[in-house]
Amino acid sequence: MAEDLVLDTAIRDWVLIPLSVVMVLIGILRYFVSKLMQSSQLPDPKIVKEGQVIVRARNLRAAANFIPPKSFRSRRVYFSNEENGLLFVPKGQAQNAQAQMFSDPNMAMDMMKKNLSMIIPQTLTFAWVNFFFSGFVAAKIPFPLTQRFRSMLQNGIDLSTVDVSYVSSRSWYFLNLFGLRGLFSLILGEENATDDTQRMMQMSGFGFDPSKSLGAEKDGLDIVQHEWALPKFEHRAEAVLKKLIK
Amino acid sequence: MVSKTEETQLNRLENQVDNGGGGAWEYLCLVRKLKVRRSEKVLKYGLSILNDSRKRSALGPEEWTLYEQVAIAAMDCQCLDVAKDCIKVLQKKFPESKRVGRLNGMLLEAKGSWAEAEKAYSSLLEDNPLDQVIHKRRVAMAKAQGNISGAIELLNKYLEIFMADHEAWRELAEIYISLQMYKQAAFCYEELILSQPTVPMHHLAYADVLYTLSGLENLQTAKKYYASTIDLTGGKNTRALFGICLCTSAIAQVSKGRNKEDKESPELHSLAATALEKDYKQRASDKLGLLTSALRSLKT
Repeated sequence: MAEDLVLDTAIRDWVLIPLSVVMVLIGILRYFVSKLMQSSQLPDPKIVKEGQVIVRARNLRAAANFIPPKSFRSRRVYFSNEENGLLFVPKGQAQNAQAQMFSDPNMAMDMMKKNLSMIIPQTLTFAWVNFFFSGFVAAKIPFPLTQRFRSMLQNGIDLSTVDVSYVSSRSWYFLNLFGLRGLFSLILGEENATDDTQRMMQMSGFGFDPSKSLGAEKDGLDIVQHEWALPKFEHRAEAVLKKLIK
Repeated sequence: MVSKTEETQLNRLENQVDNGGGGAWEYLCLVRKLKVRRSEKVLKYGLSILNDSRKRSALGPEEWTLYEQVAIAAMDCQCLDVAKDCIKVLQKKFPESKRVGRLNGMLLEAKGSWAEAEKAYSSLLEDNPLDQVIHKRRVAMAKAQGNISGAIELLNKYLEIFMADHEAWRELAEIYISLQMYKQAAFCYEELILSQPTVPMHHLAYADVLYTLSGLENLQTAKKYYASTIDLTGGKNTRALFGICLCTSAIAQVSKGRNKEDKESPELHSLAATALEKDYKQRASDKLGLLTSALRSLKT
């Protein structure tokens, strides 16, 4: 049915706006709570060193053509030789990094705290939305959707004939959840704990795995062909000087 | 290193404040951001803000950063009482702070009590072994005491962990040059070129070191790096121009018997000489005679 339903403005006043306001307030509250609960994490020296090694190896790869070939080769050997090269990680150690991350009590506690601070408010808000704001049409989405979204967006509305564009407040909740990130970074400054989506993405790919990145850098370094750029510079200098003298 | 625009902005602000035009707080913030060393001015204007209780309370939480900045500037100008007062205020406010502990260590350093400063720094490092600033202060202390080899050792250990810190590589290179360990200095400059390949200063310094090391290959490489400096600075760097002339003549001397022709850039030498003469004519025409005679002696 392509009828247009007329939605009461009272819906806007009493559903949409309060829901947004509540979510913003909860976000701010979470931000301050996370600040209070933040334990200063002592960086692990090995991880710092590995990070720096990677930066240095990356610089070497990027600017390899600026240094003489002999220096480049000696550095490459320094980084990737079998016995004590910086980037060389024997197979056994590669597994350890992940296991270590789980068993390290501090890090595990930290991750749990972060997860909790994200999950609990979300769950509570979701339950609240479902309890109070279900069973009616809250808004109309301006673009048409397929029937598959019906179950997700129209949970309280048990009429199957209503157009899928008419959604319940649950969808407004989800919209706010993802959309307020920009608002939060404006209000609270860059680093705030409300970056749920980022953290969710991080959880699926496991955090910082140094041994893999070291291996990747080593491969990259092995591939690099050194082509000394300096002889070209002599010609360019000539050209520059010629122009200057004129 | 400060970019040109930032430097002009800094100088403008400095002039403005010097002539009584206000804006002291912006000047101090800019100095802090750019990490330049203008300790006298910082001390003068910082103190003027801090001593005026109205201006001080207008700063809010930034007041403490200003205290830290003024304390360091005071230590630089050897006004140790001012520094001690600032640190006392900070300590009352932040009793367990590492930053204040660091300032205390620096005060001991400024007073010259090296052993106590060393003790303070080591205890701070025990709690926090990855604090870069404290490591660097220890190196600076060793250098100030004249213990250059100790400074080299500490700096090398620091670089083993923090090998991406290009300022540290630069410091190490300068220390090596002061000890005439040119090969090691060349290595450090290579690191610098790797991390910042478009900064002409590194190319120039590397070329200088190579020229000092001498030997045909090094001289040819040095010439190439002088050329790259010229390219990166648009031909305006006088030292690089001189470097080219010197390198060419040195190469000619070294390879006198071997008849090795420089196929790559036959004109570079004469071009550099001409550019130098033009530059001198513009900027120091009274010294032009000296220049031409020097260049002529090089050619032979």
